[in-house]
Amino acid sequence: MSAILSSDARVEPNLTPILDMVFQLITFFMLVVSFKSAAIDQRLRLPVIGSARPVDTRGTDDLLVLNVDADGNLVIYGEVKRDIRRYIQQEAQASLLLAKQSRREAQAGDELPTTVVIRADCDTPFTLLNRVLVVCQENGYRKFALKATPKPTG
Amino acid sequence: MPRRRRQRRRLQGEVELNLAAMLDMAFQLLAFFILTFKPSPIEGQVNLRLPPPHPVTATAGEQAGSDTKNTNPLQGMSSLVISVTADAGGRINSLAIGETPVANMGLLATQVQQMFADPTLGFDQVIIQVGSRVRYEQLMQVIDICTQAKLPSGEFLSRLSFVELPM
Repeated sequence: MSAILSSDARVEPNLTPILDMVFQLITFFMLVVSFKSAAIDQRLRLPVIGSARPVDTRGTDDLLVLNVDADGNLVIYGEVKRDIRRYIQQEAQASLLLAKQSRREAQAGDELPTTVVIRADCDTPFTLLNRVLVVCQENGYRKFALKATPKPTG
Repeated sequence: MPRRRRQRRRLQGEVELNLAAMLDMAFQLLAFFILTFKPSPIEGQVNLRLPPPHPVTATAGEQAGSDTKNTNPLQGMSSLVISVTADAGGRINSLAIGETPVANMGLLATQVQQMFADPTLGFDQVIIQVGSRVRYEQLMQVIDICTQAKLPSGEFLSRLSFVELPM
């Protein structure tokens, strides 16, 4: 008798709505995931200034992200690059190859189409930062973006 | 009659998907995305064109001292020179435009904006002479002032150069 009752009263929950909701959540997380954030060293404390504008490259520019900590170390994807000059030279060569794809007559020493994004700690002395800037300029980089935290309004 | 038979066959062969396994997998994917989610910080940037430092240039066709009636030391220059030095802690302790000392950041902002708005002076870039000890945060305040200056064409100033001073 009891077996009959239990088989009759078996409840099967409708899993379709919960599955729909979980798929929507997965879609949200897949859309907001940013692989660019791996290039950002989040330990750095950026300076706070008023005229910092939101990033807008309109998807046209190639970016070279350089993190410079308070001791002047160049940190790329979490790894400290000991030979700054060599690393930037290699990146400049890659950028030149990219420039040659769109403009065949591009040669070493020409302005590179890459924007150098400098993320430096607010305590970095200028002499250590300038070392990085000068090497970039020597290798043909002209467009720079200095990262900062926008001053809160209101 | 044949219609009834078809309906019966359909009811007997009804397929029920086991959604539990699919839900397990979906939850595992969701857990992965939640655990690896790291919202990127809100950041802004100051866009600059940094040509290599070069000497303060006279405007085209003019030689320094050629105009004997000119009493304005800045006339004929296309680059405005700002000097910034710091104390041992890296904080700015002196500011100057050319050779003229400037008391504070507020005055520097006013003077820079006035100079760049004046089309007769013809400035189009800034050379910032920076003491080697100046901290990046302090330097960014000066860069902030410069990049807020408007050229006579209405564009914001973006051409800057840095020269390191040995102090």
